[in-house]
Amino acid sequence: MARSTAVEIKNISVCFDGFWALTDVNINVKRNTIHFFIGPNGAGKTTLLDIICAKTKPTKGSVFYYPENSDGIKLTGMKEYKIVMEGVGRKFQVPSVFVNLSVMDNMILSLKGHKGVLESIFYKPSKQELMLIDETLEKVDLLDRKNVIAGSLAHGEKQWLEIAMQLVQKPQVIMLDEPAAGMGKPETFKTGEILKEIKKECTVIVVEHDMDFVKQVSDRVTVLHEGKVLMEGTCDEALSNETVQAVYLGRGGERDA
Amino acid sequence: MKGIKKQGNNITFSVIVIILALIPLFYSMGVISSTSTIMFLGKCIAFSIAAIGLDLIWGYTGILSLGHGLYFALGGYAMAMYLKLQATGGKITEFMHTGGLTELPMVWRPFTSLPASLIMMILVPAAVAGIIGYFIFKNRVKGVYFSIISQALTWAAYSVFIALSPYTNGNVGISEIKSVFGSIKGDANLGNLYLLFYIALAIMVVIYALSYILVQTKFGKLLVAIRDGENRTYFSGYCVSRYKNVIYIISAVFAAVAGALFVNFNGSITPSQMTISYSITMVIWVAVGGRGTLVGAVIGAFFINLCEYNLSSGELVNIWQYIIGAIFTVTILFFKGGIVGVVRDNIPSLLSKRKGVSR
Repeated sequence: MARSTAVEIKNISVCFDGFWALTDVNINVKRNTIHFFIGPNGAGKTTLLDIICAKTKPTKGSVFYYPENSDGIKLTGMKEYKIVMEGVGRKFQVPSVFVNLSVMDNMILSLKGHKGVLESIFYKPSKQELMLIDETLEKVDLLDRKNVIAGSLAHGEKQWLEIAMQLVQKPQVIMLDEPAAGMGKPETFKTGEILKEIKKECTVIVVEHDMDFVKQVSDRVTVLHEGKVLMEGTCDEALSNETVQAVYLGRGGERDA
Repeated sequence: MKGIKKQGNNITFSVIVIILALIPLFYSMGVISSTSTIMFLGKCIAFSIAAIGLDLIWGYTGILSLGHGLYFALGGYAMAMYLKLQATGGKITEFMHTGGLTELPMVWRPFTSLPASLIMMILVPAAVAGIIGYFIFKNRVKGVYFSIISQALTWAAYSVFIALSPYTNGNVGISEIKSVFGSIKGDANLGNLYLLFYIALAIMVVIYALSYILVQTKFGKLLVAIRDGENRTYFSGYCVSRYKNVIYIISAVFAAVAGALFVNFNGSITPSQMTISYSITMVIWVAVGGRGTLVGAVIGAFFINLCEYNLSSGELVNIWQYIIGAIFTVTILFFKGGIVGVVRDNIPSLLSKRKGVSR
């Protein structure tokens, strides 16, 4: 029986110098879905991503990851680069690509496997790997920018490149921190379409503020508020929930007005 | 034109090598007046090698080591110990007598044979850098904290070398030694000097070529990746600390090779070669020449040392330190790319301007 859960967040609490950024958070992320964490600033969304990929250690609780066709793995306490090798990718809030390397080199460095020091000296990407890179770049529409230095890409293109860098590792879970930040409407929409494409092959966890974007692509939404789970459900359920409207969407409305 | 731009660094390096290879010709023509200038240029070759190593770790990987004098001196001492034992015929030295030793200490034993000495020259700095690097990088010490630790370690090593004077001759260091090929002083030994000079030149070419090949590989790309986005590199699945440690060892070994060559030309080594100020001088070479270009390190090492050689005599001797400080400050503030950066950014546009005018 294939498990339907990809990531299980269990009783996570984290305390920074006396401030509880997260308290007793429980979330199950289902396989092949796009799962959003939303909430006002300081709700603990990015912290939660940091905990999943072991950038931050939780004070209590643990995170489990269930790869397809193999046993569950406890991510809490693992080294971050090992988590990546297990198939959990992460895109940061600020687009962080290697600005002084070409788009192609960025992709080559992101390929799955070949992470050893000795290997890196004699490594040449195989034909299949080059094809995979081309396919992935095609998905995010960057194929014709292959030989450009990544630093000269536009902001949106950097975001897509970083997503492509995650995809080329063939992850089973991919975490995106504000993938549409700083993008215009058409670019945001395109990012959404890219995510729907990705969903077919892996599980996507997204932190995002743009509610239109959430409506466009989300399968499931977890609303966080002051480090606690306020509610979980579909996007429509979240939008119609009164508490959510009060703490989060209300502010959004004010901002738009 | 595009080819020249792409290969510009290598072409520049080749030109430097060719000029150095013609030094005997210059000497016989009288352009260079004394053999001491040739010895000085030999030392510059050694400095260039150390600078290339420093460029790999600072220019490419973004780790500023202010303690490479330690590895330079370790290589230098290994070579000097061998040469000293050649001079004494394998017997216990004067300063050991003074220090109360009656027979050759264990640490000196390997240095009676050249192959063993060369192995020690590489192995000791590599081991020291490996152990230090392992703990520093594993604990994710980086940026200015790494620089401070590297400085402190160099200082500690300096104190140890002075304290262990029966073994190291303390402040005076190891002197009164000839080169591997015998004496290089005076016209009578010109053949020895040229032999040593060409060997040094060949080693510099090999080290440059190795480094150039290295930075073209995926490993080299990863060094740049670590410099530009250490976090991203971790989250691309790389054990960054291991990479940092490897490049730290490589650059330490280069510095040791440089130190060993230096001793041959200099005829002595003292603990002053492992002081902090000496280590910082190396950083200045790389910064002024141009970081992350390899050839910049070579240019910087020659430029600063040639300036010092020509300017630090006479009246300028008192203010030389200020001049070099000013050059360093101006480079860091206004010309981040150093000499190579200035040339690379301005020459193409100058050339195209001239073409435009002539059209």
